[in-house]
Amino acid sequence: MARARQAALGYALLAPSLFGVVVFLLLPMLVVAWLSLQRWDLLGPIDYVGLSNWRSVLTDSSFGTSLVVTVLFIAMVVPVQTALGMFAASLLARGLPGTGVFRTLYVLPWICSPLAIAVLWRWILAPTDGAVGTVLGQRIEWLTDPMLALPVVSAVTVWTNVGYVTLFFLAGILAIPADVQNAARTDGATAWQRFRYITLPMLRPTLFFVLVTGIVSAAQVFDTVYALTGGGPQERTDVIAHRIYAEAFGAAAVGRAAVMAMVLFVLLVGVTIAQHLYFRRRISYDLT
Amino acid sequence: MTSPSRTMSNAAVYLGLAVGAVITLVPFGLGLLTSFTSARQFNTESPLSLPSPPTLANYTGLADAGFGRALVVTALMTAVILLGQLVFSVLAAYAFARLEFPGRDALFWVYVATLMVPATVTVVPLYLMMAETGLRNTFWALVLPFMFGSPYAIFLLREYFRTIPNDLIRAARVDGASTLDVIVHVVLPASRPILVTLGLITVVTQWNNFMWPLVITSGSQWRVVTVATAGLQSRYDGQWTLVMAATTVAIVPLIVAFVALGRHIVSSIVVTGLK
Repeated sequence: MARARQAALGYALLAPSLFGVVVFLLLPMLVVAWLSLQRWDLLGPIDYVGLSNWRSVLTDSSFGTSLVVTVLFIAMVVPVQTALGMFAASLLARGLPGTGVFRTLYVLPWICSPLAIAVLWRWILAPTDGAVGTVLGQRIEWLTDPMLALPVVSAVTVWTNVGYVTLFFLAGILAIPADVQNAARTDGATAWQRFRYITLPMLRPTLFFVLVTGIVSAAQVFDTVYALTGGGPQERTDVIAHRIYAEAFGAAAVGRAAVMAMVLFVLLVGVTIAQHLYFRRRISYDLT
Repeated sequence: MTSPSRTMSNAAVYLGLAVGAVITLVPFGLGLLTSFTSARQFNTESPLSLPSPPTLANYTGLADAGFGRALVVTALMTAVILLGQLVFSVLAAYAFARLEFPGRDALFWVYVATLMVPATVTVVPLYLMMAETGLRNTFWALVLPFMFGSPYAIFLLREYFRTIPNDLIRAARVDGASTLDVIVHVVLPASRPILVTLGLITVVTQWNNFMWPLVITSGSQWRVVTVATAGLQSRYDGQWTLVMAATTVAIVPLIVAFVALGRHIVSSIVVTGLK
């Protein structure tokens, strides 16, 4: 095929997706930067206001609260789902007859709409006629008690994600050559020693992947919070994504929402770049 | 082999796995049962008593609340996005994997870089763009941002297409096949597993999508299932039998699809890394 024809064909095949990438991914990044310098209430005219949105957001305690809530949420969700996922994977990795079905079962919550899952749990945790209250015979304000709300939202998120995390650890454990485990067993290593000195070090890439993707997705949680608590009580569950939504579509302060979106973007890119730097330097286990 | 201690530890493994299964399944089971309980029984007896007799009243209630339309809109939206993503991602991935043209590698890196753009960040500017072009609260607003292919799918497909033997494509070329013929008759059949996987991931992601439909549509015309479920929950707070019917409708189609294709998806989630 002539080079010119091949080039023309290449651009033709790329055209639709390039349109999508430019218009719906790159252009919005420029628009959000521009919007952060404007005042807009969703309906009226858009006015240039310079850096005043940035000043008001960065000095505003509600955004600080959201950052803290998001960090607390990540700190409660990511370690717990990682530990439980690793534990479940270690059970599944035994390969006992009939255990394959558990793998599928555990992923079910992750497949389902997070919004529907949150509405389901809202009933289960409802103080007067919910399932938990009925079983305990006691009224507990799981979602409206300021001390309980964030841990409960985190627990529902962990319940949703554990099966997904398990899949990655299972793949990681199964990829460890049996020879290595057998050699350690022959040398008299206990199950704990084999886990601590063989499985865990060899799972490091998996562990890191699960941690980083867990942080990036937990930092953007929205549906679960929207349906369980709506950011309350007293902003105790007002994570960043929910704050952005509430600023733009609740308070009609679109410029402020744009500032928050840019801050979130910079933080997430930071996490992703850290991940790439790590993977470039990571210790690889070449066993050939 | 079956020493007493081995039997004991196997029993412990089964016990641990069973506890996990109960914790996973019980919330679903309770929601499902409640959706078949009459509101009257739910309010007068214990909320956990078995439906007697089981009733479909909550589901007919959903139909009255416009859920039928929401299901159709959601299915249409998912289908259009699925078709667009698969077709346009395949075309782009083929160009990146198999053709040579100036700027190819630079463009590919632009695509890869956009993987870092989170949906949460683009919602606000996309809303402005849709409002300015008069597309707010239209079907196009639901599908346009997602239907031109996904950089992630293109990235995975490109890797996959590069492993297809050159001879296979050359042989087709010798027989006079056009590029489109090659894609349809050689590349696609050789890529079925990855296409099924990407298709399922797209269906799951779009069926469950909430934030974008929530902000860009209003009223009942283009309301999708997730938005309808959230709306129902806030409008009929406390009418849990009706609300549980809504969550069941939102959840069950994907569970059915997942169980039907379960093994396939479970292994592929790991291959593709994320939703």
